[in-house]
This record gives sequence, C-alpha cells and structure tokens, in this order.
Amino acid sequence: MAASMSRPLEYLESLPGTTFKKLYQQPSTALAIFRRMLPDLAKCFVMAMLYLKDPLPTSDLEKWVRSDSKRQRDNALSILGRLHILSTTLTDNNVRACMVNDPFASSLRQALMGSDDAQSFGVLSQTSNESTITVADLDEYARRQWEGVLGYMVGTSGLGQRDINLSKGVKQLLQAGHLVEIRNHHVDITKDGFGFVLQDVNTQVWHILILYVESAQAIGMDSVEVLSFLFLLSSLELGQSYDKKGMTSVQLRTLTDLADFGIVYQESPDATRFYPTRLATTLTSDSNALSTPASGSLNGPGQPGIPGTGFIIIETNYRLYAYTSSPLQISLISLFTNLKYRFPNLVTGKITRMSVRRAIDKGITADQIISYLLTHAHPQLRKHNAGQATSSSSTMPISVLPPTVTDQIRLWQLERDRLKATPGFLFKDFSSLADYQTPCEYARDIGVLVWKSDRKRMFFVSRHEEVVAFLKSRS
Amino acid sequence: MDTIDASEHYELGTTEIAPSLLTVIIDTNPHAWATIEDALPFSKAVANILVFINAHLACNYANEVAVVASHLQKAAWLYPVSHHSQKPADRDGDVVMNGDSNGPQTSKYRSFRLIEEQVNRSLKDLLDSTSNDDFRSNTSTMLAGSLTLALSNINRRTIAWAEEHGGTKPDEVAGDGGGLATANGSAAVEDDRSLQSRILIVSVSGSSDSAHQYIPMMNSIFACQRLRIPIDVCKLSGDAVFLQQACDATKGVYMSLSEPRGFLQYLMMGFLPDQRSRRHLVLPTRIDVDFRAACFCHRRVVDIGFVCSICLSIFCEPPAGNECLTCGSPLDAGNLGGKTGSSSEKEEEEEEDPPSKWWFGGWDANVGACDSDSRALNIIILDLFNEGWNLH
Amino acid sequence: MPRAVKGLLIECDPSIKAMIQMYDEERHDYIVEDLDDDRHLVIKESQLENLKARLDQDLDAKIGGLEDSESEGQ
Repeated sequence: MAASMSRPLEYLESLPGTTFKKLYQQPSTALAIFRRMLPDLAKCFVMAMLYLKDPLPTSDLEKWVRSDSKRQRDNALSILGRLHILSTTLTDNNVRACMVNDPFASSLRQALMGSDDAQSFGVLSQTSNESTITVADLDEYARRQWEGVLGYMVGTSGLGQRDINLSKGVKQLLQAGHLVEIRNHHVDITKDGFGFVLQDVNTQVWHILILYVESAQAIGMDSVEVLSFLFLLSSLELGQSYDKKGMTSVQLRTLTDLADFGIVYQESPDATRFYPTRLATTLTSDSNALSTPASGSLNGPGQPGIPGTGFIIIETNYRLYAYTSSPLQISLISLFTNLKYRFPNLVTGKITRMSVRRAIDKGITADQIISYLLTHAHPQLRKHNAGQATSSSSTMPISVLPPTVTDQIRLWQLERDRLKATPGFLFKDFSSLADYQTPCEYARDIGVLVWKSDRKRMFFVSRHEEVVAFLKSRS
Repeated sequence: MDTIDASEHYELGTTEIAPSLLTVIIDTNPHAWATIEDALPFSKAVANILVFINAHLACNYANEVAVVASHLQKAAWLYPVSHHSQKPADRDGDVVMNGDSNGPQTSKYRSFRLIEEQVNRSLKDLLDSTSNDDFRSNTSTMLAGSLTLALSNINRRTIAWAEEHGGTKPDEVAGDGGGLATANGSAAVEDDRSLQSRILIVSVSGSSDSAHQYIPMMNSIFACQRLRIPIDVCKLSGDAVFLQQACDATKGVYMSLSEPRGFLQYLMMGFLPDQRSRRHLVLPTRIDVDFRAACFCHRRVVDIGFVCSICLSIFCEPPAGNECLTCGSPLDAGNLGGKTGSSSEKEEEEEEDPPSKWWFGGWDANVGACDSDSRALNIIILDLFNEGWNLH
Repeated sequence: MPRAVKGLLIECDPSIKAMIQMYDEERHDYIVEDLDDDRHLVIKESQLENLKARLDQDLDAKIGGLEDSESEGQ
C-alpha cells in the first residue's frame, strides 16, 4: 500500500490548509481521501469520532490504544493532522481533546448517510443504452490508450506497434513532468521516465494525474476543482455511463483530457455522457484490488481482461521467460535483461550483473525492477512458490520471486550505490540529556527519526516542522 | 550499507492488505424489539446498522459485507440475495431496481445505495411473509441457523478470494490438524493475506429462548473459533449466556448497551475496527463471562449438571435408566441423587469398574481474569454516553 | 539552545566515508557535520550529485577489473 500511496499523499500534504477546506466540501473527496490515504488506525479514529458531539479527550484516545502500539497511534494522528482532518482543541474545562474538522466530518457523514445534494457522486445517464459499451470494451480502450502513452515514452512506436493518436496535451504533460525530453524532434525518455514506466499502473496513473493537476493551475484552471473532480471519478462505477449535464466547463475540459489517457471513455468529445474506465474507478482502491484486474488487462494483448494474468517466469539461475508479444513489455524487460531469443509469444533472456548495472545507470532502481517482476509474475510462479513455502512450513513470508534473484539484484545495485542519502534536518546542541531525549522520542513516535546518537546528543529527522513545533511548545 | 544477510529476504509483496468481510446478523425477533421500542425503534436500528455497514465499506475498496436476519421461524439472507438475479459479488448489477429509486437518491455512493435498497427490500419481504401463526407460535430467534448461513458464506467467499488472488488457501487457515493452539505468531502474518472475516450479532432476544439451540450454536461457535473468525456481539436488551461464550471463545467484542440510543456510536467505536486494527486497540471485552451450558435432555440452562464421562454430554438430571442419551453408555449415578448441595466439583469414587460414573460439572458464573485495560474502555464509553451520545 | 541544520544524512560503509572525508579535506565543501561513528555524516544537499559522480568514477577505477570475470555463458 505504502509505495503507491506515498506520492498522492505527499502532493496533498504540500497543499495549503485553505485548499483542504475547499476540497473537503465534496463528500466524494472526503470518502476517497479517507479510504485511500489513511492507515487503518487513523480510519478507526475518524470513524469513532465522526458521530460524537463533543471532542474526544486526548487522554481517552490514548487509553483506547494499546500501550505497545504507541508508534502506530502517533503515526496515525500525525497523518490525520497533516491532511487537516483532525485538530486538537481545549474543551471548556481545559482538557486537550481532538475532533474531526468540519468540512471533512460533515462531508464524510453525507457520504455515509446520503444527502439531498444531487451531484456529489455523479449522475447516472438515463438515456437507454442503444450502443452498449461493455466492461471489456472499456478495459480494451483503457489498455490501448495507456500502452500508447507508455509506448510513446519508451519509443516503441517504430517497432510495429499500432500508433495511438496521442494528443498534444498528453505529450506536453509528459514533457512538463520531465518524463520525456524532446531532442532534435526525437523523443528521449529521462531517468524519471524509466522509473515511471516500471511502476505499477495505479502509481503511474496517480503520477500523471498529479502532473495534470499541477499543470491545470498553470493554464488557469482551478486546481481544487480538477482535484475534486478526479476524486469524484474514482468513486464512479465501472460499466455505467454518467450524464455530463450540469458539469462545469473545467470538468468538461478535464474529461476530454483524461479520455486521451484512457482514464475515461466518451464516444466523442461532445457526447452527452461518459464512461469511467478501470483506471479511474480503481484510483482509490488499494493496490491489491487493482493489480489483478487492471494490470491484467494492461499486460499482454494476448489475453486482455483476464484477471491476474502475469506473464513472466524467472528461475533461480536468473533466466527469464516472458510470455508476451507486446513490443512495450519487451522493451521494458530489455531495460534490465539481456534478451536472447524471441519467439512469436515468448522472449527469453537472462538477468546479469551487467544488465542490471546498465539499468541502474539509466536511473532505474532495484526496487523498481523487483516490483515490476512481482507485478507481472506468471500465475504458475505464484502457485509454485506458494506451494513450496507452505510445505516447508517456515515462518518466512511466501516469496513469489526466487529470493536469490531479488537479493542479488539488490546487491548489484548496492555495489554501485554505496551510500544512502536522506534529506532532512540535524538537531544538535542540546544542553542536557533530558532536553535531547524527549524531542528525540517524539520524532521517533511520529515516524520521522532517521538517526540519533545519545552520546553526541544529536538526531536527524526527515521532516522538521512537527519537531520544531514540539520544541517550541515545551520551551 | 552491507546490511543484507540471508536471514532477511527482501520482499515487496508483503504490504498488500487483504480486505475484510463483515457479516452482520440482525436479530429481527419482533417480540424482543417491542420491549425496547421506546429507546430504539427497529427502523432506526436498521438505519444505524446501514450507516455502520457503509462505514465498513468505506474503509477499503474491496471490503465486503453480508447481512443475515435471524427471524422467528427462519434465518434469511438480507444481503446478498441470490434469487433476485443478483450475484453476491456482482456489484455491476444492472437492473430493474434502478427504475424506481434512481431519481431522488443519486447523491449517494452507488455501492452503498445498492446495499441499502437491497437490505430494506429483503427486510420488507421478510416481514411481509411472516404470518400471524408464525408470530404467535414463536418467541425466540433462529440464531444458530443464522450463524450457519454466515459461516457457509464466509467459507465460500474465502475460497473464492484465495483463488482470485493466489493467497493463502482456506484449508490452510482452517487446517484440520493445526487447530487452535498452534496458531499464533505466524498465523497472524498468514491471516493478513487471506480474506479477513468477522461476524457481528445484533441481539435483542433473551437467553432462555435460545436454549433449545444450544448444541447447533456451540458447534457454530467452535467452527468460528477454529477458523479464527471473531464473533462480536452487540446486545441491545437482555443478556444471552451463549453469546457471551461465543465472544469469549472467538476473542470477539461483547458489549451490552446500557443506553441503546447511542447505538451508532457503539457500533462505530467498538465494532468497526477490523482484526488488523484490533491488534492496536484496547477492546471492550466481557470480564465476567457466563459459562453456563444448556442440558441435552430438557434444554434447560444449568449451573450444575451431570456430565457423561464417555461423551461429555450434559444433563440436568440423570436420564431414565441411567443410560446416556447421546452415546448410550450405561452410567452409574451412584448416590449423587442430583441434589447434593452446591459444591461444583464433587467426585465420589466408589467403584473403579464400569459402569462409568456421572461427573458433576459446573461453572462459576463470575470466573475470569479482570483485565484493567478493558475495564478502562468500558468506563470511557459510558462516560461518553452519559454526556453526549447525541447524533448529529 | 538546540539548533536544526539542514542537510543530507549519508549512510555508508566506513570505506566510503573515508573517501568522502578525503574529498572534503581538499576544500571543506562537502561535510556539514561529521557524526563520527564511521557510518554516518551530514553533507550539503547541493553536493550529492557531484559526490555520487565522483565516487562512481573512483570506484569504477578501483574495482573495474572485476567486470571481466563476468560470464555471460549459457
């Protein structure tokens, strides 16, 4: 969950508080953020407080959580605070208490209980379906468009791939996000781009959408409106068509732009209704629900729409077999593999030190390679390794990929990448050990502590705002 | 950064989190609801439960829900309902039903609305189909049947989910050999990757009514215990002996509501957290569990009874002919005429040879360790409702 | 009075740390704070790319010979 969630979360955190107020007006946004961005415990807190009239005293909240889960509690509270969902107040008798902030609370209650406000979850199109679009059609459309975008980036259009008409807007967006660069009329993928193409689909879509929201602001569209429209899209239902009536011009424009990416489908830009595709409806699901159906449909053109289709088999001797004929997938695999043979439906190759080294020089990380292999692992590989793990009844988690291979890929990266850099702040010059210890423990509890030395009375944090606030509140 | 060693394999896939399946069993016994009509009308309770269900679905895109009614003469599905041309897992569902209700309510998240409509409609069907005879001839509720329905659905969904996701196979979790004690450390990890199921019983009927279902109920409870499915009980009125045991055996949450008007708040705070979150929370559990059993002969709830030493069947008095009704073993009641006073452990051995003897079995109703943490939460929640349980 | 200093925390082998210290001795333009536990130090944020490039270059020169032992055999 964490990997694909972090980017939208980071983006949201960077927004000013007033933006949140506006965003949370929409029940669909409140629901999407609740579902997608919060850890389990934070969800429990929000729900427990949602229908309380008075703020919940912090001491009660502390009593509710087990003492050995203090870290999870503080982490949950910290995220809730950063997203402006929870705030602490002082009650009449001077007790510190926390409550769910209002636009968010009332919107979430509306989402749960329904309201009279007509539009918050889209209007189903009433027109009878004379030209029925099936879910399979939508998946096919989404796959074609999305592969088109990725294909454009890695430059497979010359390899016999049907050319998808990418609009100018899409190309500009990819450039603006530094995923590709244009040099002498030639598309060149950047380091960021390489990282991007190997991510799972959900993360990719979020990445693009955030770029889109950022660029929307630059051309004068209200980014809050675009963002809340995206959250609305994510709560629509696959296979249903929705009415465009009553939508604002910004929303209509967004819709047309998103159609280019395959996130929504409409018969023509001036059709009266649109269909969300799987790319949209799984935006706020966890990666698990997504990795099966959507990436399945996006994987191999050979078997579109079959849930859970992986196509890569990797053996402990680093040989790789990929059952695909998609030029896109083949060129992705060739980024980190020495390909040897190509058959009509199969390519084989070997992952070697040199091939991984080559990939890392391009800016691809070992994590990205491993997660790509994992996302696209052949069902046979999953089954086989799951079976082995249970028979040996070890307590180790079941690994889909051979552990030797994943470890070795990581070692190959470390060989090159000999240092780990974390940006942040070093706190030092504490006058006494006690002065040092409390903020240090606080930093650890909210999950920002990276390094500490009791002897030197120094510690290093990845985010300093809360620690500074904490220090101020104590001095 | 030579921090890699063989014992710690690098694994990306473990962060995926399995959704959870919540099965709500609503006790729809009209006799019992009539008694708390003033504090919490049935319609309002159902509305609250629906909000709670929505909250559960809101927590995770893939979360699932099932609702069973435990009615007077039968146990019935409220959601999902199969004979409505609607498949349980199929939320794309089409259909006829959109016609009448589509207009006014579009402001609601669609999957929430579908469930609400379905539950309300099936509830109406259920009440309409209850004849006056049913009403008069039954006063209890079919809890055992509902539990069985819930369990079979959970089993089906667990298998289906595991097949779709290649996760842990249900027979591993259920493991006929593994059982109760062996599971713990590694089991928690395993559980995270299979569908997480739990059952919530909203109960209003008293215990004396359900004594005749003692055996099937205990069987369901043991099944849950083995499958590690917690049974949560939210008791709106009365106090049911067997439900306390159900929670205790399956490590579920038991709350008896002193103030039924705060129903929704109790649901949200006490029952919404799923198994994963519960590891971090102090949950309200019953500290004085009523471990009484019902006898096999007359279905009476007994404090002290006779236990067959062969098959452990319980009887309130020695059965006729001194033969165990369950296994048929000849037993010797000796001179323990059944009324020998109050000591709960009495074994007066005279002859060592067959016929086997009766054992006296009994439980103290107030046994159980006192957990200071859980007491704290009970107090917190009570405080909340003394001050402001009001819903917005 | 405690102070907060902005920088990049570098976590590395003692050998790499020694190399960074060596670079720093030239003009003192890398290290913000030496945390003297032979694995950690804080450097200026702007110097990361420069440092990485320099390390890669030097490391390649030192262990480059190993490349030949790589076998692509089937």
